Amino acid sequence: MLATPAPSPAETRDNAAFDALLWAMSRPGVPRDLPEPGEGTVITALLDRECLVYSADPLLMPEIMRTGAELADIDRADHVFLGAMTASDPLAAVAIGSDNYPDDGATVIVRASLGSGAAVRLTGPGIDGAVTVQLGGMPDGFWKARAARLRYPMGFDLFFVDGARAVGVPRSTNVEEM
Amino acid sequence: MAYVATRGGERAIEQSERLFREEMGGFDRDRVEEVKKSLPYLIDRVMGEASLYDEDLAALALAQTGGELYEAVLLLRAWRTTQPRLQVAEPVEQDTLFTHRRISAAFKDIPGGQVLGPTLDYAHRILATDVLQGALYAPDPVEPADTPSPAYQPSVSAWQSENDLLDPPADDPTKSNNIPDLTREPLLFPSKRAHTLQSLARAETGGVLALGYAAMRGYGQAHPTVNELRLAEAEIAVTHPDGRQFSAGRVKVSQAEVVDKKGEKLSIGYAATFGWNEVKCIAAATLDLNSPGAEKGSATEEEFFLYHTEGVESSGFCIHFKLPHYVTFQSSLDAMRDAKAKKAAKAPEPSSSEAVGQTKSEPAE
Amino acid sequence: MSLSTLTKPWEAMSYGFLDGSAKRELRRKMLKSVAVPGCQMPYASREVPMARGWGTGGLQVSLTLVNPQTCVKVIDQGADDSVNAASIRRFIAQVAGTPTTMDTLEADLIQSRHRIPEEILREDQVLVLQVPNPEPLRPVQPNMSIARQMHADADYGRMWLQLYEQIVRSGRVMQGASYPSLVNGRHVMTPSPIPRWDVPKLHMARHLTILSAGREKRIFAVPPYTRVEPLVFSDVPYKVEEHGHLTCTRSGTRGFFMNEIPQDDGSSAFEVSDSEWGVKTIRARDGDGESRGETWYKNGEMPQ
Repeated sequence: MLATPAPSPAETRDNAAFDALLWAMSRPGVPRDLPEPGEGTVITALLDRECLVYSADPLLMPEIMRTGAELADIDRADHVFLGAMTASDPLAAVAIGSDNYPDDGATVIVRASLGSGAAVRLTGPGIDGAVTVQLGGMPDGFWKARAARLRYPMGFDLFFVDGARAVGVPRSTNVEEM
Repeated sequence: MAYVATRGGERAIEQSERLFREEMGGFDRDRVEEVKKSLPYLIDRVMGEASLYDEDLAALALAQTGGELYEAVLLLRAWRTTQPRLQVAEPVEQDTLFTHRRISAAFKDIPGGQVLGPTLDYAHRILATDVLQGALYAPDPVEPADTPSPAYQPSVSAWQSENDLLDPPADDPTKSNNIPDLTREPLLFPSKRAHTLQSLARAETGGVLALGYAAMRGYGQAHPTVNELRLAEAEIAVTHPDGRQFSAGRVKVSQAEVVDKKGEKLSIGYAATFGWNEVKCIAAATLDLNSPGAEKGSATEEEFFLYHTEGVESSGFCIHFKLPHYVTFQSSLDAMRDAKAKKAAKAPEPSSSEAVGQTKSEPAE
Repeated sequence: MSLSTLTKPWEAMSYGFLDGSAKRELRRKMLKSVAVPGCQMPYASREVPMARGWGTGGLQVSLTLVNPQTCVKVIDQGADDSVNAASIRRFIAQVAGTPTTMDTLEADLIQSRHRIPEEILREDQVLVLQVPNPEPLRPVQPNMSIARQMHADADYGRMWLQLYEQIVRSGRVMQGASYPSLVNGRHVMTPSPIPRWDVPKLHMARHLTILSAGREKRIFAVPPYTRVEPLVFSDVPYKVEEHGHLTCTRSGTRGFFMNEIPQDDGSSAFEVSDSEWGVKTIRARDGDGESRGETWYKNGEMPQ
């Protein structure tokens, strides 16, 4: 029998990053720590040559390219990195999947400032009652733009990243602006 | 305490594997080599179903499982799935196949000629029992033909499309790197053409034969004529990171084209697989020929035959019924007893012959 | 680009058996399955060193989630010592170096076939259920493409009709295990072949449940605090197995799901199905300390 393999540093980091992302997606609005600040660990944990990726932030490109993922226009991308958003327009183009394959709806990663700025009240799966969270740094009309695209179960799923903290807001979450 | 005493699970499974292996005993490289040399067609079949071309690994898998074919294929698939995908080879064109055998039932003679090649088709199937009495089975040597048949030949369907008998499939411009890979993405329906052909290529031979045979007997809409059956070797051309193309070697492949008349044109079914496996290719091509327009739920419908000829999945599910199912059984018992009690309460003298639940039973799980 | 950038140093086996590409695909699909609770997401489902139908779907999820600190419990029919549970547990420990446990409360990850433990799972625990057939519509529609379209259209009429016919014929819904349930008010899901007894444990639970069918290549999830409602008619309430009044002949515990053991005299004896719960009960009875956690069912009843 072969010896038990030891996890490489990359495996350990990707495992921890995914643990945080899965937790965050399962508990919308509740922040969880990524192993390192920024989008880097999200990129290595999720992306490879099977993925089509759009990034509005050129600084993320080298890291995305290293995974073997293919760059694509925003409407074709399964992973969309919007960086620090200045306008909510890009949300209008993000893929929402189809009736038969809602999983083709994109995963969208946005930079935000947690605990400051406008508060939103979240309800839905993963939330015990309701949770209120401040997600600062979003452009005007962000939540309206999201709502305009949602046709559950079609839609896209959001991660907000602030330093090493990540908050998830899946398409199943109802968002009320406060 | 009573509970703890029953915890023999771990020991039991260890000993059961030992029992299985005891009969075969240990084995070494020599046995693997012997398996590889003496059973090339079995090796081919296993490589095809595993979708992994490596004669040594296939022989090893057979030696390690005592020839339990489903187990051997699973071993190879499980090994294969952990290997990195370094490169995607260039597509192989039919006229670049180094051909050993190529026959057509559609024409008496074909451009490039009928090449009978190696086959047992005309052998008399008489068991050589004298070998067991100590005789040596020594086949007569092959006498080479005066003029060797050409090694490279076009496909018969190429001639048919030139003569407007057949609409050739549209050219697919997909770069080899982007060809959908069934082992990396799920099979969805309607199936991508690449997925269909890959799925048939790694299908279980017996399963493909059973469904293909059903189609041949009349449970399909099309009747196959073997346009071409070919046993060949394909050159695996890959691109070096510096841009140069080179050959990574040759692999044995087989392919079949079957046709049927459809109005004024021929319709065509195609299948190819690793290794030399004629039955599988003809049966698979027949299914492919029958699938356009097949009725949902019929044996020639793509979803039906692709799902049900997947050997690792079907054999695994079949043997999983050996696992304990007493929780689900208990749950059903409860529903049955309750229904029975309800019936008894309603009608004091129930007819005992009447079944309680006449609804379609739940699918096996 | 060179060959060395395309690959990595050779190792006999990746950590957790699955290679990076398999794990990343599973991660992507797990996120989608959490985002749309109860909706079946297709995935490639790699071959693993176990036969299809023997927990390969659950195993792929577990192997993706674990790290050397993850404490793993594996059960089959409620029992840790069931042979296939032992096999899966041994495999995970072998390829991922994880600690293992039989104690539900001690586990970080529980992979299970056909049962949910009787003790309440916490927020930090993940339950991975093995799924033989992910399609609740299969009894009314065996064709997967048509069934997928029915889910897309939320077209569950034939499902309801089937349940209605059963009630007309037999006075009750005849479904035993795998009771079809509506998740988040939108998708009908099979909870896997858990008994009806266990389905209410998924409703508004604190833990995350991931259901994975390796052979059928579908993954779906029930996030915490998500509605899971068995399909019932308002005048024919959902009924779990009548086990609330049964007593385990080995441990004396009462009010949990039981295995029925036929006796020579024609009667039946009962043993608690959650074997570790039985062990803990015996331990407490023998004065070896109390290790039992809070249970979902109290006095044989699920509190509303």
